[in-house]
Amino acid sequence: MNASEFKKVLQGAVLGNHRDLESILELYMPMIEHNSYLYGRLDEDLKQYILIHIALNISKFKI
Amino acid sequence: MDHRQEYPERDELRAKFTRWLETVIKRAKIDYLRKYENRPETISYEDIPEKELIDLAQRELWPSSTRMQTPYDFEEERLTKAFMELPLKRRQVMELLFLADLSETETAKRLNCSLQYVRNQRCIALKKLRSRLMEGGDDE
Repeated sequence: MNASEFKKVLQGAVLGNHRDLESILELYMPMIEHNSYLYGRLDEDLKQYILIHIALNISKFKI
Repeated sequence: MDHRQEYPERDELRAKFTRWLETVIKRAKIDYLRKYENRPETISYEDIPEKELIDLAQRELWPSSTRMQTPYDFEEERLTKAFMELPLKRRQVMELLFLADLSETETAKRLNCSLQYVRNQRCIALKKLRSRLMEGGDDE
């Protein structure tokens, strides 16, 4: 994804476009999963919690 | 060509978003740990097999005053009988509340169930006991 594509997708996600949000989450999934480890194993509940937290807060990001 | 010159916009926006996202993720994780880590693992009281409840009642985990006694040492024989007819789970709630004189909160904690469950069981048990005693009349 190049710079302009990224900007377009990010703008869409910030404005509430679900498909764009999914693209952003997919793009950042390695970072999300990396932070979803608790006691050495992937905590699915934590991962879901983080995903929801991002989805609820992404509209606050100022481009 | 310098990488920054080639993709200046991407670098700036992605970097900004990545930093923002890192903060959001960190906050979410802290929030999650606060909410869920200190919460004791609970199972519904309904899910505990009756046999385990009996074992639990007989082990030292329970103070002697709360251990199940059969028959109950009530002055009123009819009350003992009515009490024995209560389902085990309800009986244990009543034992802890009235025989061991624990608070509702302590009872809920001891039985690993919610406060509302304790209140409901107490309410139902009292109704049952009352109705059994009323049914019995004076002749018993």
